[in-house]
Amino acid sequence: MIDLARKILLYDKLRFIITVCGVGFAVALVLVQTGLFLGLLDNASITIDHLDAEVWVAAKNTPNIDFARTFSDAYVNRVRSVEGVERADNLIVWFIRMALPNGAQEGVEMYGMERFVEWGMPWQVDEGNLQDLRRGRYVMLDDSATKRCGSFEVGDYREFIGRRMKIIGRTHGALSFTTAPVAFADMQSIQALTPELKGQTTYIVVKLKPGADRQRVIEEIRRRLPYTDVNTREDWSHNSKLYWVTSTGLGLQLACTILLGCMVAIIIVAQTLYSSTMEHLKEFGTIKAIGAGNGHIYGILARQATIAAVCGAVVGGGLTFALQPVMAKLDLKLLIVPGFWLATFVGTLVFSLAAAMISFRQVAKLDPAMVFRT
Amino acid sequence: MTVLQANDIHKEFSEGAETISVLNGVSLSLQQGEIVSLEGPSGSGKTTLLSILGCIMTATSGEVRVEDQAIDADDPILLQETRKQSIGFVFQQYNLIPALTAMENVEYALNIKGMRGAEARAEARRVMEEVGLADKMDSAPRDMSGGQKQRVAIARALAGRSPILLVDEPTANLDSQTADQILELFRRLARSENRAVLVVTHDPKVRNVVDRVLIIRDGRLCN
Ligand SMILES: Nc1ncnc2c1ncn2[C@@H]1O[C@H](COP(=O)(O)OP(=O)(O)OP(=O)(O)O)[C@@H](O)[C@H]1O
Ligand SMILES: [Mg+2]
Repeated sequence: MIDLARKILLYDKLRFIITVCGVGFAVALVLVQTGLFLGLLDNASITIDHLDAEVWVAAKNTPNIDFARTFSDAYVNRVRSVEGVERADNLIVWFIRMALPNGAQEGVEMYGMERFVEWGMPWQVDEGNLQDLRRGRYVMLDDSATKRCGSFEVGDYREFIGRRMKIIGRTHGALSFTTAPVAFADMQSIQALTPELKGQTTYIVVKLKPGADRQRVIEEIRRRLPYTDVNTREDWSHNSKLYWVTSTGLGLQLACTILLGCMVAIIIVAQTLYSSTMEHLKEFGTIKAIGAGNGHIYGILARQATIAAVCGAVVGGGLTFALQPVMAKLDLKLLIVPGFWLATFVGTLVFSLAAAMISFRQVAKLDPAMVFRT
Repeated sequence: MTVLQANDIHKEFSEGAETISVLNGVSLSLQQGEIVSLEGPSGSGKTTLLSILGCIMTATSGEVRVEDQAIDADDPILLQETRKQSIGFVFQQYNLIPALTAMENVEYALNIKGMRGAEARAEARRVMEEVGLADKMDSAPRDMSGGQKQRVAIARALAGRSPILLVDEPTANLDSQTADQILELFRRLARSENRAVLVVTHDPKVRNVVDRVLIIRDGRLCN
């Protein structure tokens, strides 16, 4: 079978290229926007996902990891004695003001634990030794802090709520959705910084024994600590992300972007197919006069829409792929989620076919006798 | 056997408030294996009549029968199927598809008529050779002369062995030698393949090959 659909598209090469670019940019718009959003969202739970704990205990109704609230640091003992728990430790996450050398102040999200190493936290240490944190008023700063707090060297001192602490290391990849720089210090040195934290913690993280029934352990912790929320790592990670999607309007904003991207793609395909169909109307008339039915011509238009959609999706996908390293240079994380890409491609195809409907109507009512009009 | 019959065909076109009547009661019949010419002055309604016989246009009144079936003008599917199964049409304006090569134009028409793949390709090639375009298979219509395009249009109608060939001005753009060859081809198709051929023409030479001559004047056939 002669592939008339493709041949007509290639016959109008420039128009076809413009269409594919248009669809491609629309697809890239959706993929890049969503990828950046998901990248940002990934930061919202990055510490939860890396910390080697299956269960998290938080003060009741804590909305996400950044907005922590305090409870007694002695509760941890009640958790440690639960059957199936291998170990449990306090974790403080708290915003602390840090004075910069130029006199300005920045909020730092401080993570405090007694035994970071055992929990795999922080997961990438570029400089310094984690064990040293326990030896005094020391802090490790993530290198992403450079943007907010200026460059720093290991060995520098910074003031945290008026107390000097020495930077003894540099980590990488520890981020927060709030974009506040992340720092690590010994639990006790953080507690000493502010009276609010005296004898308090914000989380208890729990590592289970191999083969322990996680649900049973959670039930037991809930029974023993009724004024806390006890979540699986997955739920806690999910909730921390969801908070930013729903409570900030960011989710809605993203939905608008996706909607606009889809509209652009539909309009481009519809407009191109329509003008191409109108231009080739005489040929469609001839095909009808030779004996082709409407179904045959629908097939041609549907195939053109499909080709435009697939080429557009490839261009859009390629563009997004190429943009990923560029974005990374700008410290923007662009996440590629195969499922979402697939959905975007299927959506592009469906919308392109929908756009072809407008042209279907034109050829359906086309009278083959039009071939005799000059 | 009668393959095409028209009884008392009338055709009016309305242009704004005016109606012009082009055909005023045309009746004719065409037999298998017969080649007939239709002559008449420009604007006399030759193309209009041919397109009604070919089920591309519908008459204002009157009956068309194709291979013994009455064609209901209100049934677009029947009209389409009849065009597909029974009619090969050579358009006065060629109506080639510019995005396809000469041979693809022929092959595509075969595809529409239900022949696919290698079989269609072989048939298209055979017919292209028959009209003397063996060396122009891959040319684009825009790179061809009027006469060459006309021959592609003819090849497209010949391919697929439709029992009825309706041909509008086939020799208008051909030199006299090629015209003779094409007319001889039509005659041979009528004789050896038992097709019915109706040729609209101004060309007096056509009379040499046809079995009958029909003349149309003022919307009527006269002998
Ligand atoms: N769709 C139409 N609408 C209005 N008038 C039409 C239409 N088609 C044809 N006509 C008119 O019908 C008349 C016959 O046209 P037709 O094309 O059948 O003539 P013809 O005999 O084929 O002429 P020629 O030898 O120049 O090809 C002309 O006056 C033409 O203007
Ligand atoms: Mg004419």
